[in-house]
Amino acid sequence: MIQVQNLRFSYTKQPFIENMNFEVQNGEIFGFLGPSGAGKSTLQKILTGLLTAYAGSAIVNGSEVKSHDNGFYENIGVDFEFPSLYEKLTARENLRFFASLYKQHQAIDPLLDNVGLLPDADKKVADFSKGMKTRLNFIKALLHDPVLLFLDEPTSGLDPSNARRLKDIILQEKAKGKTILLTTHNMYDATELCDRVAFIVDGRLRALDTPRNLIMSRGASQVRYTFALDGREVHAEIPLDRTGGDDVLQRLVRENRLLSIHSSEPTLNDIFVELTGRRLQ
Amino acid sequence: MRTKALLLGDIRFQFKYGFYFLYLIFTILYISLLYALPAAWREQAAVLMIFTDPAAMGLYFMGAIVLFEKGERVLDSIAISPVKPLEYVVSKLSSIALIATAVGLLIGLGGGVVANPFFFVAGVFLGACLFSAVGLMVAVNIATLNQFIVATIPAELFINIPAIAWLFGWKPGWLIFHPGVCIIELCQNGAYALSAAFILVVWTVMSALFARFMLAKSLRSLGGEKL
Repeated sequence: MIQVQNLRFSYTKQPFIENMNFEVQNGEIFGFLGPSGAGKSTLQKILTGLLTAYAGSAIVNGSEVKSHDNGFYENIGVDFEFPSLYEKLTARENLRFFASLYKQHQAIDPLLDNVGLLPDADKKVADFSKGMKTRLNFIKALLHDPVLLFLDEPTSGLDPSNARRLKDIILQEKAKGKTILLTTHNMYDATELCDRVAFIVDGRLRALDTPRNLIMSRGASQVRYTFALDGREVHAEIPLDRTGGDDVLQRLVRENRLLSIHSSEPTLNDIFVELTGRRLQ
Repeated sequence: MRTKALLLGDIRFQFKYGFYFLYLIFTILYISLLYALPAAWREQAAVLMIFTDPAAMGLYFMGAIVLFEKGERVLDSIAISPVKPLEYVVSKLSSIALIATAVGLLIGLGGGVVANPFFFVAGVFLGACLFSAVGLMVAVNIATLNQFIVATIPAELFINIPAIAWLFGWKPGWLIFHPGVCIIELCQNGAYALSAAFILVVWTVMSALFARFMLAKSLRSLGGEKL
């Protein structure tokens, strides 16, 4: 669906995106992770044809992006990080207008219903909360049922239940065979949704793999436990896959002397920090 | 089909954002003013009002529309839609020109100056398209209304001064190639009205194409490219 080879881009004389190479397969959810200013949004703008002065190759849906025609946009949907809606029109009027720009589009009411906005369909967008605008902006990208979706921080500013609702829709779209590019600095969303993630820092691709492989590359999960010894609280830690050989732990379990025990898995954020020396959030 | 969809969208936008209400107020005000003037002044006053309002207001309204769309980031969504820049320009210009022509006709009929309805409608419609195209060219490159007002002054002087001079009797033959003069000539059904129609079509098409070029450049710069 997407092939990027030796991609380079610069806003000024300084290189910004440097020698980037990756592919995204059909039906995959592919995440771009990185801190603010890392180049994630620039990469999305290149792949959606908003930035065309790049060097190298970026092929999206069979077309070199810099030489795309406007039919290119019949097959891609873009959810920008910030709402792009007519404030004085209602939610339904906005969706009707944007739907009319495409050759074919989905029914509007089920989309509104999916994100809980059907009761507010005839309210002006200016009267919407930030979260409602985010949800409306999200379904605007789905209107024409595109095969490729670009989602930029889709759950940003949403309460947990609405974030869950949007993530479920993203997974439903994947189940329908859609390819989804997710730009985010939210490691939890990326871990849950993405088949593969790319770490981007300072315009470079620092790592690319499945979230599980990236997490496992740091080593196994750890088990931490505490127990009392000579009136003191003692802490111990052992890899999860070696607990069977830890005689102290075995004896403490048999004698019911454990004060606490829990496992801890590294997160994508830990891996990101380890590989790049930067934090995602 | 897409241009029709854009046009309907633009008309809805202009209605909801109060542009039609403003046109209504201006129409009532101008027709009342015409009847308050001595009858001898009425024809010239009506043509001047039509030239400076329904036709020329397109310039300001277009600026306001594009600034609203930029402020609400709607241009971002247009940029990643199948809409071609020329379709966007044709829709915007037509939507303004349609309401301008309706208002121009009302004032023209009120002032009793519609001698040739075909030339009159052509003058107001093409004039509104021309002014709107200039407004669009300027608006896509600026960020605030104040910047817009300052940036449109040269274009206003270029279009308005020769046209007003023509209206009040300074009529050297070569001036018929001026777009503002063409609008006046068509509204007044003057001796050069047919030539003026052709010349104004050329000006309007050229302006629309240049506005399309400026818009395409502006849409590319939404990504942040320095062009």
